[in-house]
Amino acid sequence: MDTVHARFKEKIGEVLLPGDVFSFRLPEDGDGDGNNIKTEKIICGPGFRRNGEEVQVCKSGILRHKQPNLYWIDSQQRRYVPAKGESVIGIVTAKSGDIFKVDVGGSDQASLSYLAFEGATKRNRPNVQVGDLVYSQFTIANKDMEPELVCIDSCGRANGMGVFGADGLLFKVSLGLVRRLLAPQSEIVKDLEKIFPFELVVGMNGRVWVKAKTVQQTLIVANLLETCENMTSQQRQTLFRRVAEGSL
Amino acid sequence: MSPMKLCVPGERLCSTEDCIPGTGTDLRHGYIFATLAGYVLRKNEGEELPVISVVRETEAQLLPDVGAIVTCKVTSINPRFAKVHILYVGSTPLKDRFRGTIRREDVRATEKDKVETYKSFRPGDIVLAKVISLGDVQSNYLLTTAENELGVVVAHSEAGAQMVPISWCEMQCPRTHAKEFRKVARVQPEYLQA
Repeated sequence: MDTVHARFKEKIGEVLLPGDVFSFRLPEDGDGDGNNIKTEKIICGPGFRRNGEEVQVCKSGILRHKQPNLYWIDSQQRRYVPAKGESVIGIVTAKSGDIFKVDVGGSDQASLSYLAFEGATKRNRPNVQVGDLVYSQFTIANKDMEPELVCIDSCGRANGMGVFGADGLLFKVSLGLVRRLLAPQSEIVKDLEKIFPFELVVGMNGRVWVKAKTVQQTLIVANLLETCENMTSQQRQTLFRRVAEGSL
Repeated sequence: MSPMKLCVPGERLCSTEDCIPGTGTDLRHGYIFATLAGYVLRKNEGEELPVISVVRETEAQLLPDVGAIVTCKVTSINPRFAKVHILYVGSTPLKDRFRGTIRREDVRATEKDKVETYKSFRPGDIVLAKVISLGDVQSNYLLTTAENELGVVVAHSEAGAQMVPISWCEMQCPRTHAKEFRKVARVQPEYLQA
């Protein structure tokens, strides 16, 4: 009896709203031997919540499926909620004693210790000013405590993190677009590379930093990224082709 | 007992020849002065002189003392300590909520430096703790949970249901079956209600 998978499968690709329920009450067994009921395993990803014998949807979005048994809700959101392990672009807002206060776009400002940079000691302070951009990871991020950031990984190396962005442009996009940009074989990035070379830093808090050779090219890349959020791949490729021909 | 009279700190109540000083009073220059604002109580203890004391309410308040087991509720957590409100001293409820602090190194007896406050307490948990210090004027009571019988007694999961302890460091929500980390107290079986 494939009821559990079947109930999920019939809704794949459909828009679900918070409050929709998948109930898994086991059907009454007529002959009483219990052999008809198979135990199946389903992994519920983000957007689902288990409530006893039901699985409730708690975010609005499209139901997605990945083999063999992973289901999740793909939702669009612009407000970032800090989560442990995510790399974000932050803006330094204040220096107080041993820590920097960094704005990451969440409800609370995060703290970044000055010792959490590569090669930083008590005598050798890192060169970070108010207003600098930092690319860092969360070590503590939950709803009860103030989030904490670090610019080194567990081995003590910077690994690409730290202060950056002497020139270039920082702008904000939705979290769905950020996930698409960070996917391993991102089509958007591949299409953009063909137009002209540029540097790109993507933070999971929805912030993107771009730098190209001239200011005009930087602005073009920024505008293209902002507009391709609501486009299908066909529309995007025609747009990029028009821009590539127009700029040459 | 004589009728209740109000007094303020610094008021001279009587001389040492009439009464013996009790709680809330001070002996200076041969006279008894009040140190609290409240009601004056004169009690005949059976010795020659009655005992004079100043009390805030008609019944005396039980204050947490060093070594007392207190029941408290976690109000906020921090990577270095957890702030709590003390609700009960032993089994007596308190009228005012006193504030306490549980430092990170006082949460457990073993592996003190690997303690994460987020995995031991959460805001809203009810915790059994022991007083180790009364603190000075500005700081709160210092508490510890570094024993098997001390720690989180009642905790609610993120879904809102009351959790069931499964080990000394984990509790499980009966509705979502999600496990959460807490420093769980091992309550003696005779105190558990069936």
